[in-house]
Amino acid sequence: MMTKYSEGSAASQGLANCPSCNLLSDACLEHCPRCQAPLSLRKPYSLQVTLSLLITALLLYIPANFLPIMVTEKLGQIEYNTILGGIIVLWKEGSQPIAIVVFIASVLVPIIKFIILFSLCFSIYFPQMLSENRRVKLYRLTEFIGRWSMVDIFVVAILVALIQLDHLLNVQPGLGAVAFAAVVIVTIFAANAFDPRILWDNFNQQKAKRQNKP
Amino acid sequence: MVAILCVVMTWGQGKAVLIMKQIACEHCDLLLQAPKLKQGECAICPRCHHKLSRLRPSAINWLFSYIITGLILLVLSNLFSLMTFNLAGNISEVTLWQSASKLYFEQYKVLSLLVYVFTVVFPGVILLMILLFITTIKLGKQQWYLASLLRLIFALIPWAMAEVFLVGALVSLVKLVTIAKIELGYSFWAYCLFCICYVKVLSLVDKYQFWYWVERCHDD
Repeated sequence: MMTKYSEGSAASQGLANCPSCNLLSDACLEHCPRCQAPLSLRKPYSLQVTLSLLITALLLYIPANFLPIMVTEKLGQIEYNTILGGIIVLWKEGSQPIAIVVFIASVLVPIIKFIILFSLCFSIYFPQMLSENRRVKLYRLTEFIGRWSMVDIFVVAILVALIQLDHLLNVQPGLGAVAFAAVVIVTIFAANAFDPRILWDNFNQQKAKRQNKP
Repeated sequence: MVAILCVVMTWGQGKAVLIMKQIACEHCDLLLQAPKLKQGECAICPRCHHKLSRLRPSAINWLFSYIITGLILLVLSNLFSLMTFNLAGNISEVTLWQSASKLYFEQYKVLSLLVYVFTVVFPGVILLMILLFITTIKLGKQQWYLASLLRLIFALIPWAMAEVFLVGALVSLVKLVTIAKIELGYSFWAYCLFCICYVKVLSLVDKYQFWYWVERCHDD
């Protein structure tokens, strides 16, 4: 008999894997008998939560890129630095390797995360697109790279604290930094909310069954 | 259908400790017969190749030494200056605490809290909690807090960003060397070493292994 859960899975046998201690127990229990964490076969509303968090992050990504993350005052002249602007300055000043590092951490990583998580959410309905193993690899990639976008926030924090020479040269944080930190945090939550186990489940079959019913 | 785990990488021999009969892969929910791992062996899910568990030889002892070293280094890195900035005789200095607190006084309170919590508080708290956990295990006592302690540890781990901060410090260093003279303080080196200890501790943290210790305490 084909269930809506993937073949050979613990869920198809009515066993729930505890999210915090990995103990298998009967799915009709509400809490894990070992660690009292709430039990469920799959993370509840995983797709909906992931998608809504992703859209939030995408909206926050706009001010994060257009508002300045730092305001530099140099001999009375005020300069607004956005993320991309800072990278271009770094590149022009001759520190290309660091420009590449910052570009990867603060531009590429968020965009890659958006693309991967969106396509994972949609791939549930088009399982032929990529094999499950490829998709779970992409998921692990987003889990791993998520935190590294915080680099830019830490750079702002250090520069703000270090460069305080009054009107000669001083650096103040900008609102873009807040938006960018929010993007990073919300995308980490989004990646956590996504349940990779549904990649193997038979979503289409479930849908077909529902449609066949009169 | 119950598949059998493939077991790779044999490094040494010792007592097998995984005792759970059936486990499920976290990433693909495949129902598996738990293998009896030997020291240094690693269990990998045959369907999605997720690393399930790895049995490290004398993990508790290594954890003890890395955690204590790491905590001492973390305290040290909070005491001295991280970097000194020298622009034609105008000198300013920054400590780890100031790198967060300056944002606080610039009216970016949430951001400053996030920076300090992610770089110092969470890594430190995680190390302290693991220390408390393994001490309790070593003493062989079953305590009421073990389960909630472990849940908290595993929930906090994704939010500690010590190594990310280190990269941030390096990036700001490179940004500044062109305009001023920068000197790295003792705190910077202490924080570097702390990061090494912290990453080492995280590599020794294993869900199955930790919960197995808790269960063994139960039996005694």
